[in-house]
Amino acid sequence: MRLSTSNTLHQGRFSRQSRTVPFLGIILCILFLLGMASRPKPKVYIKKLRHSRYQLIVDRKPYIVKGVCYNPIPIGQNHEYDWWSSPDKPWIVDGKLMQEMGVNTIRIYQAGENPEAVKKVIRDMYELYGIRTILGHWLGFWEYPCPFYGDKIFQDKIKKEVLEMVELYKDEPGLLLWILGNENNYSCLGMVNKWSTPEIDNEPDPQKQKAMRARIYYSYVNGLVAQIHKIDPNHPVALGNGELIGLEFAREFAPDVDLVACIIYRGRTFGSLFRSLKATFDKPVLLSEFGADAYDAYLKKEDQNMQAFFLESQWRQIYENLADNKEGEGNCLGGTTFEWTDEWWKHDENNPESWKVHDTESNWSNGSYYFDIKADGNKNMNEEWFGIVALSEELENGLNKRIPRKAYYVIKEFWKNPSLDNKSKNKVKK
Amino acid sequence: MKKLLVVLAALILAAPICAPAEENVATQPKEFVVYLDKNSRENHYIPSGWMGDYGDIKLNDQSMDNPHSGTTSLQFTYSAKKSQGQGWAGVYWQNPANNWGSKKGGFDLTGMTKLTFWARGAKGGEIIQKFMVGGIKGTYSDTASIEMGPVELTDTWKQYTVNLVGRDLSYISGGFGWVTTADLNPDGCVFYLDDIKFEADPAMKPEAKKAEGMPFYVYADRTSVKNHYIPSGWMGDYGDLKYDGASKEDPYLGDSCIKIIYNGKASQGARWAGIYWQNPANNWGTIDAGFDLSKANKLTFWARGEKGGERIEEFKVGGIMGEYSDSDTAGIGPVILTKDWKQYSIDLKGKDMSYIIGGFCWAANIDNNPEGATFYLDEIKYE
Repeated sequence: MRLSTSNTLHQGRFSRQSRTVPFLGIILCILFLLGMASRPKPKVYIKKLRHSRYQLIVDRKPYIVKGVCYNPIPIGQNHEYDWWSSPDKPWIVDGKLMQEMGVNTIRIYQAGENPEAVKKVIRDMYELYGIRTILGHWLGFWEYPCPFYGDKIFQDKIKKEVLEMVELYKDEPGLLLWILGNENNYSCLGMVNKWSTPEIDNEPDPQKQKAMRARIYYSYVNGLVAQIHKIDPNHPVALGNGELIGLEFAREFAPDVDLVACIIYRGRTFGSLFRSLKATFDKPVLLSEFGADAYDAYLKKEDQNMQAFFLESQWRQIYENLADNKEGEGNCLGGTTFEWTDEWWKHDENNPESWKVHDTESNWSNGSYYFDIKADGNKNMNEEWFGIVALSEELENGLNKRIPRKAYYVIKEFWKNPSLDNKSKNKVKK
Repeated sequence: MKKLLVVLAALILAAPICAPAEENVATQPKEFVVYLDKNSRENHYIPSGWMGDYGDIKLNDQSMDNPHSGTTSLQFTYSAKKSQGQGWAGVYWQNPANNWGSKKGGFDLTGMTKLTFWARGAKGGEIIQKFMVGGIKGTYSDTASIEMGPVELTDTWKQYTVNLVGRDLSYISGGFGWVTTADLNPDGCVFYLDDIKFEADPAMKPEAKKAEGMPFYVYADRTSVKNHYIPSGWMGDYGDLKYDGASKEDPYLGDSCIKIIYNGKASQGARWAGIYWQNPANNWGTIDAGFDLSKANKLTFWARGEKGGERIEEFKVGGIMGEYSDSDTAGIGPVILTKDWKQYSIDLKGKDMSYIIGGFCWAANIDNNPEGATFYLDEIKYE
């Protein structure tokens, strides 16, 4: 009996428990789901798929970055010109042309100094044309005499600027993501804007010096990324990087970076970029600066076909490596072509007279752009001719008239009907 | 009308006699001969294109010394005396004679799938850097450029085949050719060629692009048949450079090493200089000729400075960008050389080495070598 009673009691208790547990479970599930519901997905985030494939998600939909680098300096002005505050509002004209072409993103290297003017541009582009903005920060790369990434005062100064930028613009509906730096990694190699610290100076082995600089720089960027994530969980943070150089250090010291924004000029193809990135630093990549100029330095004449040829080929490679193309690496999120309009100040930036002239002299050589590599001294890259839209000296509503080049139409057509070389032809969603 | 018909008939009859130099052999079966015997009526092309140290070459086109077939073969004597100061020499078979692409004279060899020839050395061990088909550039350029080599000859006749499957042979004015160097044959060489002909062999398969086996040498010794790539890509202040690929000054291994003198005088005003090892020579990505080095995990080389302390900004592999770009690049540097030999290694793990035109490269500058630099390299190889 006792046993029986005990059994009964036990059963009763058990019975009560077994009713309670599912009930509690359901409650917990509801609470959990409610919790989920109350914590919405970030507005913009990167979805990691199987096999290290990545997709940018914006407002819950996959988003291919079809972008241009945007710096609409008029003829006769240089990079110091505050176009943000221009009463002629160049972005209104440009945004319309971009929309017609299919551009959905502009990349801006660094915001202007007037926050209201910057917000106005971001809003106009988004509200009028549905074009989103990538905002960048140079991270003091051009500060005189060099960016002292090993110096606490310098670090704090740049950090303050970056976090202020994030606070100011994080709630703009048109904001897509942040890019920190551009080709700043080259300063770690001493290739440009070389900087040092007493510890680095004491190291006799130049290879170790490079590694020390890279560790300092990428660790610093990682700290910034972590701070931005706290302030703004809604937008990914990219590491701007020249080529893939130094990313073996980024893997170790900048793990919080969401994506790599790669600056790359390799002519017709990006080569093994997508595969190499997976091997060195498994993050998604945005081709944040690439392109071709439209001037044949050998034949000494404008060549729009040459530019269009390279750009179409580059965009084809970008599409071949998007997440939904099974044949590619699947780690590319899109690109921002360099650049929207020509910039006439670039060849001789210290000479205001030359800002009014469309210079045809080249300052550098790149064999990947092989059509005009036989130019004098092999200098074939014409900095003032990278626009997919040319500028005319003729004014229209106070702005230099915009004249789209062949590349504008070729890319427009490509985006409408992306035809790919590999087997996944036509499988990519537009 | 009658006159017109007569003229037309005469023209039709005369047509085959007046056939242009550009001859279509696509419809002809089996073979197209370059050389059978001295007086063979089937011979095509003339061995007229003497190149490099042409004064070092002698040709006996009716050598009766043990021909492979018939009564004669071609005997070449290369003295390696560097008569023209080039360090290399070679001969192209052209049509018409001495046509370096300025005249229309190529044959349409469509349908041919291989070129075969027989070769032997007088002693054995003679090294021919490469044999060529096509590749003449000019107003009338050849539609294909195929190379094979290096080849180490034996003292008995041996047949060699150049695979032509899939090549555009619609215009070939340089039917055949060879090139060799004084480094590969420091004492010169004598070799024989016979029975050179294009063949339409339906059994030939396209040459599969295969990954090169390891180790794959860039430089072993000056005469080594294992060497690949040519140190032809002189950059920056190229006038500041002296290159000796056969230095006897304390080589790390073997009988020779590379000695490079960079005098730091900024001859071209660049304030830096460097050399790319390319395939073929002077290929800045304009010729489709990269090696597949996918099996390589690293490139190693030995280096030393004459005084110690010489600073090389970078040693690297790959990185040539052009119409045909290298598939990847990797490097180390800056490197401060020691007075004693030291081995360096460029890590290639994770790199795409499937197509490499620029096999090796170094660059140095004046800022870090104000008095220039003299340094030595040896045993450069992919492993």
